[in-house]
Amino acid sequence: MTDMQGRVTRPGPTLHRQVVAYAIAAVTTASLMSTTVYAQSVDLSQWSPDYIRSIAGTETFDTAGHCADVVPLDYTGRLTYWWTGPTEASPQIEHTINDEFWAAWAKTYPNIATDAQNIDYNQLLDRLRTTLLGNAGPMVVRLQILGGVEFASKGYFQELTPEDIGYPTADFWPGAMKSVTWDGVTYGVPTNNETMAMIWNADIFERAGLDPESPPATWDDVVTYSKTIHDKLGISGYGLVARQNAGNTPFRFMPQLWAYGGGALDEAEASPSYQDSYLDNDGAKAALQAAFDMYVRDKSVPTSALTNTQNENQSPFIAGQLAMMIAHPSEYAKMVDLAGQATGADKEVADTVVANMRYGLIPEGPARRAVVFGGSNMHFINEEYVEGGFDEQAAKAFACFWNSPEWSTKLAWTGSNPGNLAGFKTEWMKERLDTIKFLDVTTSMLPSGIPFPVIPEATEIMNIIVPDMLQNALTERMTVDEAAADAAAKVDALLGGGL
Amino acid sequence: MATGQAAGPPITRAARKKPNIVSRIIKHRADYLYVLPALIVMLVVIAFPIYYTIELSFFRTPPNLQMKDKIWTGLSNYSTVLNSSVFHEVTIQTIIWTLASTVFSFLLGLGAALSLHREFVGRGVLRALLLIPYVISAVAASYVWKWLYHSDFGVIGAISVALGFTDEPINFLDNRQTVLASLIVVNIWKEFSFAMVMLMAGLQTVPDQLHRAAMVDGANTWDRFWHVTFPHLKGVSMVTILLLMVANFNSFIIPFVMTGGGPADASHIWITHIYQLAFGRQQWGVASAYAVILFVVMMTLGYFYVKALTRGDENRAGG
Repeated sequence: MTDMQGRVTRPGPTLHRQVVAYAIAAVTTASLMSTTVYAQSVDLSQWSPDYIRSIAGTETFDTAGHCADVVPLDYTGRLTYWWTGPTEASPQIEHTINDEFWAAWAKTYPNIATDAQNIDYNQLLDRLRTTLLGNAGPMVVRLQILGGVEFASKGYFQELTPEDIGYPTADFWPGAMKSVTWDGVTYGVPTNNETMAMIWNADIFERAGLDPESPPATWDDVVTYSKTIHDKLGISGYGLVARQNAGNTPFRFMPQLWAYGGGALDEAEASPSYQDSYLDNDGAKAALQAAFDMYVRDKSVPTSALTNTQNENQSPFIAGQLAMMIAHPSEYAKMVDLAGQATGADKEVADTVVANMRYGLIPEGPARRAVVFGGSNMHFINEEYVEGGFDEQAAKAFACFWNSPEWSTKLAWTGSNPGNLAGFKTEWMKERLDTIKFLDVTTSMLPSGIPFPVIPEATEIMNIIVPDMLQNALTERMTVDEAAADAAAKVDALLGGGL
Repeated sequence: MATGQAAGPPITRAARKKPNIVSRIIKHRADYLYVLPALIVMLVVIAFPIYYTIELSFFRTPPNLQMKDKIWTGLSNYSTVLNSSVFHEVTIQTIIWTLASTVFSFLLGLGAALSLHREFVGRGVLRALLLIPYVISAVAASYVWKWLYHSDFGVIGAISVALGFTDEPINFLDNRQTVLASLIVVNIWKEFSFAMVMLMAGLQTVPDQLHRAAMVDGANTWDRFWHVTFPHLKGVSMVTILLLMVANFNSFIIPFVMTGGGPADASHIWITHIYQLAFGRQQWGVASAYAVILFVVMMTLGYFYVKALTRGDENRAGG
């Protein structure tokens, strides 16, 4: 007898014990659900684009007034903060909102001297690790959702819950709260939750003989569509990304892996134990084979995929040389910016691309539809590791301000969703929905979100081992089976305490 | 003129014995006080990191433990490094990278130095132009070359297709077979002008009358180079080659920026691999063991470098 994962199970318990167990489970679930529904600002059980539109703009919030209850506005202190903010690849509107935030913060808490450093996404973790070794960290840091658990497990973070900065935990996605919890203790506040979508160029689809208004429904369709586009038009179909040691790679490959039934560990299961590697199961091999087919067999994706991050997909997409890619809602705003900068014949091409840009759900696989439940979390560093000492009141004031319904929404304007769910009820959310194209699509992907494993080894698995597996297969250094087995062995060795 | 020493009794072994280091320090305490600040700075920024790296190389550093909680493992990190197949692969790549970069940079630099040693119109301008790769930022140069090489939209690939040399853009960086050679070309471009400058300085030391005498004796251009110029360049050539080798062993920016060691480890050299182990995988202990091995290699090269620098002094002292 086997269970759903094909594991051998013991002969079943008696019917009576099953009934009791189910009854307890049902009562517990109902209790949790009722608690959730009554405590939350929004009802997650109704989550849909229509529901989100119906609640947007129904409440107003006074950010300064609320934060004054947490820390008086005339408080005098100092704050050091590291985060990954807008970059050259970000649309202009993100830079504008970022400037507005810092102006508003300075105006609200004029006596808190602030030293904020905007650090590149791929460098922030390394830099934090190094400075913490020298007890020279910042007071507050915002890390990608994958990054925090390593530091929490090492004892670098302070306990921190939303209640500490004036917000109920129930106003944050349960999956997001899981990502800031280590060993039963909460070490942070989710600042934003992001899910991506499939973006395609309808004009290229039409010229390749595909339905311009329908994205590929399955990952098998992605392989087929990509080959069709490449064979008919001589351009790249799907924007595969497989660079080593870059977060962009797992954010695009893991949805495919999960869709086929694979996983790094069992993170896609309802109650993950994070004990065994799933990287060499049949689902993972099928996903890797699909990537191999696109890169090696069909040559229908960019040759430069092995050295590309998502940033390198933007130029070919706006030039009409790439048909599909996985990205944020902010990609549309970025393409509008790029089209605005183009001149002459390039301008005509870019305008055509923007006019034909479409967003759809990330394709399904045989097992499920999946997307990385991404985003970022805010953490407080323990005093002994902070350069110049920790100013608790300044840190709390800042965390309250940043994670307020207002700024949680504005700072996620084009890229993701507010970590504070109360943000969905604000006037600013209504403005977002009215002005940002395709926001509904990525918001609709949230219930399909799967968080990365909440274990200290997660960064190495996702940023090193998974990209390595892809590279080993795509360069034909190893066969698909060998690459999957090699990656699974590395994960097992890592979890077992080895190299 | 007689000296006191010659007139006095014979010097005994005890009398000839040099004062020990403590006595010398006490005797020259003022001198040592002057250099003390510099010594302290050197201890902090050089000696301590070396000591700490060696210490770390005997410990394991799991991702859920702080550095202070590291676990003693003896020599197992060294065993892990030396028995790793990736280490063997990366070592071969490091040797190819270092030797090819050094040899071709030196030869190109020598050719450029010999060409620029003669007087001709525009020599100064050409010399300045050839120095540009050396003075340009390595990071900026790496990004420029990355786009020149780009496997889909690179300038070199586009020119190659336009001229009909290839049917599709050449895959320089996303191919395990071509990536290392492609990076070596960039490295040679970046550092050949260093060899050129060194060798041009060396050429200034060749006496002109020797060349004229050789011409009178009927020596052709090659004979004059081989029997007159080259012997005078031996010392500076040795130093240049050793400096290039040390620089190439430690070269980090070009492979890191252009490929990050990929694809599939094909462009990793020791230093980038150490970086990945330490900062990508947080295997600080293994990375430290790796760094100690690199340190031993570098010290060996350094020993030969110092020997080459001081050879003339020893000859003079012995002669």
